[in-house]
Amino acid sequence: MRILRIGPLGIATHRRTFAVGLIMLGALAALLTFSLVQGQADVPILDALKAAVGIPVGAPTDFIVGQVRAPRALTAVLVGAMLGLSGAILQSLTRNPLASPDFIGISMGAGTGAVLTIWLIGATSLWVTAAGAMAGALLTAALIFAIAWKHGLVPLRLILAGIGIGFVANAATQYAITRMDVHDAGNALGWLVGSVTGRTWDHVAVAAAVLAVLAPLVLWNARALRTMEMGDDAARALGIPVGSARGVLALCSVLVAATAVAVTGPIGFIALVSPAIALRVTRNAGVTLIPSALMGALLLLAADQVAQQMPANLQLPVGIFTAAVGAPYLMWLVWRASRGGQS
Amino acid sequence: MRTRALIALAAAAVLLAAVALSLAVGAGDIPLHTVWDALVHYDPSDPLQGNVRVLRVSRTVIGVVAGAALAVAGALMQTLTRNPFADPGLLGINAGASLAVVVGLATGVATGFAAQVPLAFVGAGVAAVLVYAIGARGAAAGAPVRLALAGVALASLISSITYAVLMLDDATLDQYRMWVAGSLTGRDLANVMPLIPIVLVAITVALVASRQLAAVALGEDAARALGVNIGLIRTVTIVLVTLLAASATAAAGPIIFVGLAVPHLARALVGASLPWMLAVSALGGAALVLVCDVIGRVVAPPGEIGVGITTAFVGGIIFAVLARRMKVVEL
Repeated sequence: MRILRIGPLGIATHRRTFAVGLIMLGALAALLTFSLVQGQADVPILDALKAAVGIPVGAPTDFIVGQVRAPRALTAVLVGAMLGLSGAILQSLTRNPLASPDFIGISMGAGTGAVLTIWLIGATSLWVTAAGAMAGALLTAALIFAIAWKHGLVPLRLILAGIGIGFVANAATQYAITRMDVHDAGNALGWLVGSVTGRTWDHVAVAAAVLAVLAPLVLWNARALRTMEMGDDAARALGIPVGSARGVLALCSVLVAATAVAVTGPIGFIALVSPAIALRVTRNAGVTLIPSALMGALLLLAADQVAQQMPANLQLPVGIFTAAVGAPYLMWLVWRASRGGQS
Repeated sequence: MRTRALIALAAAAVLLAAVALSLAVGAGDIPLHTVWDALVHYDPSDPLQGNVRVLRVSRTVIGVVAGAALAVAGALMQTLTRNPFADPGLLGINAGASLAVVVGLATGVATGFAAQVPLAFVGAGVAAVLVYAIGARGAAAGAPVRLALAGVALASLISSITYAVLMLDDATLDQYRMWVAGSLTGRDLANVMPLIPIVLVAITVALVASRQLAAVALGEDAARALGVNIGLIRTVTIVLVTLLAASATAAAGPIIFVGLAVPHLARALVGASLPWMLAVSALGGAALVLVCDVIGRVVAPPGEIGVGITTAFVGGIIFAVLARRMKVVEL
């Protein structure tokens, strides 16, 4: 066990977690560099790195790397991290490895909020759309919470209520799309596909800003989250303000997931699998927030690279690749749980 | 017995009212007497009457077929898996039918409707077996949630594959749209006609086998003690579910939650008697789909929204409320 201290933030971490985190960080840096260098036109590494941070190196590279590849790759990294973080919090709070914002209605609610914003206000600015997605996700979460709350909160009931409300939110989204004008509907449909293609520095800015505000708040409560996994009574006995800590964490999880949806559209399964893989590689007993976020970033960036490497007649949005990996994993999880008799 | 018969009669009356509503109400304004004339003494020279006969009658028939099939399929699944959240739409069986057809269309295997329907049956069957194998085993704690999540996972995998196929083949996307979104207007009535006997036979077989199925639902030991061939009944039930769900999908595209919500309502009305529950489910499912379709016609003028969207909206709420009503022990 060692303690990492950055100002007031203290993160207790196992040696192995720390080492694995460093390795993931290294892999992320390597993959990020690769995604800047590699593409239809290869760019020398130094030029690519310079162009990515805005140092001019020559006309085509400045544009290709500086305006296309760099924002796309950074969007994938930030959104992947957000999804991993959001999933880790939610799975820990519900004490259920099957929970993830894309299955229990949160992402669908964010999508509805974003599409309604595009319908009513127009696709004026990404910040507005993001705010709409957040409002939609919060309202949906409140609704799910209200439905699931009956003499206390049972996580499984929360998941089921979320599945139902997710379908309601999806139906509302489709209704809005049939009602809006053709141009906006085209925008909304393209965004609902879930993709990092064509993302700009605006997208990076929105994701980075939200993450910069919320990630410290989450890490501040990381110890509470980990302690609550032992049960509410144990956490209370250890001096954790269970109610308020859970509220803050749930709020952060919802807002982070909503921003991810606003930036890239719904991308499935990253939030589900990242925390599970992170647990496996760090061999931690409880939730591991930073490794989950790193794993999410790695997975989404890698999936986007795979999507880009496909031949021209197989160009598909990245969400299809994450689903192709994530859905079998979820089914395996369910199948294994049915053998062990636990979910 | 008499109350149950009365309830079944009431359900039939509700269905009749829904049929009348579906014939009378539409996005375009057609006077009621014109609708009546079109049905009773048809005058081919009146385009409005033609509209009623071609559009409203056909979508009403398709709605009845799809609704009854889905509701009975859902009731059978809920009984077989002893899982209150079983629904052919939620568990990806309808999506499986869509995927098989879309793949068939993209590869050029299925050119006509006659070739598409068998593909729908194959796709639905594979999905049904898969989701049953993954999520329906054992009655351990958490089983309902597990089955629901297994279905959601399977459905989202299937629909992203379907979506990928469509994206790669967008010239024909429009032609296949009907297989990926629930709607009562995508099909010619003539094409749907051959599905009607399949649905009728399947519902009849379900009614005949319902006593044995009810015995299986009591548990394996009880069923064996009653002399029921458990394996046979399970197989027959899965085949029936496949036939019904695939027919409904072939007629109207994937529609979710009808198979979930209607059996619960039917059970609340007639109690545990499976034959009555199936009969009331068939009537109620047809009525629900028609009412949802009528809502979809008037809610977004001058356009319409597909019945798949309205049923998802209505059914999602019912699903969430069911989740709230469940006792913790049952979870």
